[in-house]
Amino acid sequence: MASMTDSFAGLFDTRRRIAAFVAVVLALAAVPFSTTSYITDIVFTGLVFVVLGVSWNLIAGYAGQISLGHAAFFGTGAFVSAWLTTPARAGLPEAIQSPVIVAAIGGALGAGLLAAVLGPVLFRLTGHYFAIGTLAMASIVQLVLLDQRRFSGGSTGYYINNNMTEDTMFLLMLAATVLVVLVTYAIVNSRAGLGMRAIHDDESAASSLGVNPLKYKMYAFVVSSVMAGLAGGLYAQFTLYVNPESTLSVVWMVDTLVVVILGGMGTMGGPLIGAGLFLLLDNGLRSFAGEFATVIEGGLIIAFIVFIPGGLYTLLSDRYGRDEQSADADVDGTAESPPPNEQ
Amino acid sequence: MVASDLVFQSLLNGILLGGIYAVAALGLSLVFGIMDIVNLAHGHMLMVGAYVAILLFGVLGVTPIIGMVVAFLVLFVLGMALQRFLLERVVGEGLEQPIIVLFGLALMLQSIGRILVGSESQATEIGIPGEAIAVGTATLSFPRVVTFVISVVLILGTWAFLKYTTTGLAIRATAQNSSAAQYMGIDTDNIYVITLGLGTGLAGAAGALLSMLFPIDPFVGWSYLLKAFAVVVLGGVGSVAGTLVGGLILGVSENVGVLYLGGGFRDIISFTIFLLVLLVRPHGLFGSSGGGE
Repeated sequence: MASMTDSFAGLFDTRRRIAAFVAVVLALAAVPFSTTSYITDIVFTGLVFVVLGVSWNLIAGYAGQISLGHAAFFGTGAFVSAWLTTPARAGLPEAIQSPVIVAAIGGALGAGLLAAVLGPVLFRLTGHYFAIGTLAMASIVQLVLLDQRRFSGGSTGYYINNNMTEDTMFLLMLAATVLVVLVTYAIVNSRAGLGMRAIHDDESAASSLGVNPLKYKMYAFVVSSVMAGLAGGLYAQFTLYVNPESTLSVVWMVDTLVVVILGGMGTMGGPLIGAGLFLLLDNGLRSFAGEFATVIEGGLIIAFIVFIPGGLYTLLSDRYGRDEQSADADVDGTAESPPPNEQ
Repeated sequence: MVASDLVFQSLLNGILLGGIYAVAALGLSLVFGIMDIVNLAHGHMLMVGAYVAILLFGVLGVTPIIGMVVAFLVLFVLGMALQRFLLERVVGEGLEQPIIVLFGLALMLQSIGRILVGSESQATEIGIPGEAIAVGTATLSFPRVVTFVISVVLILGTWAFLKYTTTGLAIRATAQNSSAAQYMGIDTDNIYVITLGLGTGLAGAAGALLSMLFPIDPFVGWSYLLKAFAVVVLGGVGSVAGTLVGGLILGVSENVGVLYLGGGFRDIISFTIFLLVLLVRPHGLFGSSGGGE
């Protein structure tokens, strides 16, 4: 694992790479002013997926906790932000009506709060139980909002008012994306990031060396959820519409997974490449494969995890630089049975 | 307050439904207990089984009970192929790989289902004629009673298979200690293939049973996965008898809970029970993870 960060750090050491990063961001900033609104839409969605991918990668790729509930935090962010700019429609007091930026931050904090409350419960679970537990948690959040029509608009959905132009929303999303990428980069390369990777590789070994697993898991989970909530909050303000069926749908989780798996789990560059590829796939495939696009995406997830488990980033950056230790970590010597089903 | 007649009626319906829930969970529980894999596509395989039965009934007029046998066989073969050609490659590589492969498979099954049959709900609207049965103040619909009986037969059959056949013995041996089983001349790779086939076959059968009572659409997979997992957690991983108990608990709590909270809460009830049980007992109500029987 360490080598991946090193290669990425090496990537950023050179001024050339920083310049490239800045150039890409500037080029993206020009998108709404130089292209059609159709393309702006697509690129905006791409930025949403960068944030979702980077944030899920933090909890799953780095801290090793396969959460299948990311959609709940995206959806919570979207709904909280919708309520904050357009409170009257949910019967909430006019006094909480807020500008878009405050609403998006409110969405992020709402999602973070949900994660902070549920985290201690969910982290009593490990491995498979955690994965299914988070899936159940996301379903409950969705079902509760579906049931609470007053707050969610039911199946007709919830329409949002704000006075932002599409261009401004795009720039906000771009700023949020840059922020999320930089913050994640900082976390991953900090002491906390080291703790997360230690838990990923071997939780009991990390714990015996004085790493507090719950602390780092919660850290990754809450930060990751805040980021997903921010993406949801801005997405809601861009599309001006949320709906419990689609905004909280497991589809967001699936797409996030596609982004991270194709790009490369546990790498910084992976979700960035993955989101770009996902956009091409999603728009390209839909034009010629139509409904089969989703089937192909599912197939790609499987094919990548089986044949290219490091994802495209690892494949591109260094075929042989990948550290395999997470795959065969079984240091605690409790394994009674050999593969195929240890752990 | 809800009238006691209604509660009694819901209780009985809950028990009848619980039998099917137990079958739906049995395959998941066996695969988890024996192979330490949670089949995230279990609910979607159940959905496929339901459509096999619906199709056979709708197109060929085949009785749903035969449809159930066909659904079992179709999913049995699919499960064996899945283990042989995909899961075998990723098991032992860590936790994420099998989870993600099966998540991808679930996505594929759901999308293929949507393409083939559309998003509308369908039901067999069977199929099993017969008078409603009066029990005290309650009445039981005949199809529900029939599906319950079939469920119990399936569960007993699985138990007997594991207990009394050589293959069943080999499966239990592999679950207890796969390397020792290997030294005794058991082809554990094959045992895993058969186990996954059995697990997914049971998902298919459960789907066919559910299609006789409830409308099915391609998106029911996640919901039934979570319900099946709730039953596994309630009954104990890998325990056949526990699965029946877990199924009954879930069926009854859902049906009685809906009386007080309303129909929108059916899934919320089962998922919440599931999370609460995990909160108290992180590895399930009855004990440790792993282990056969």
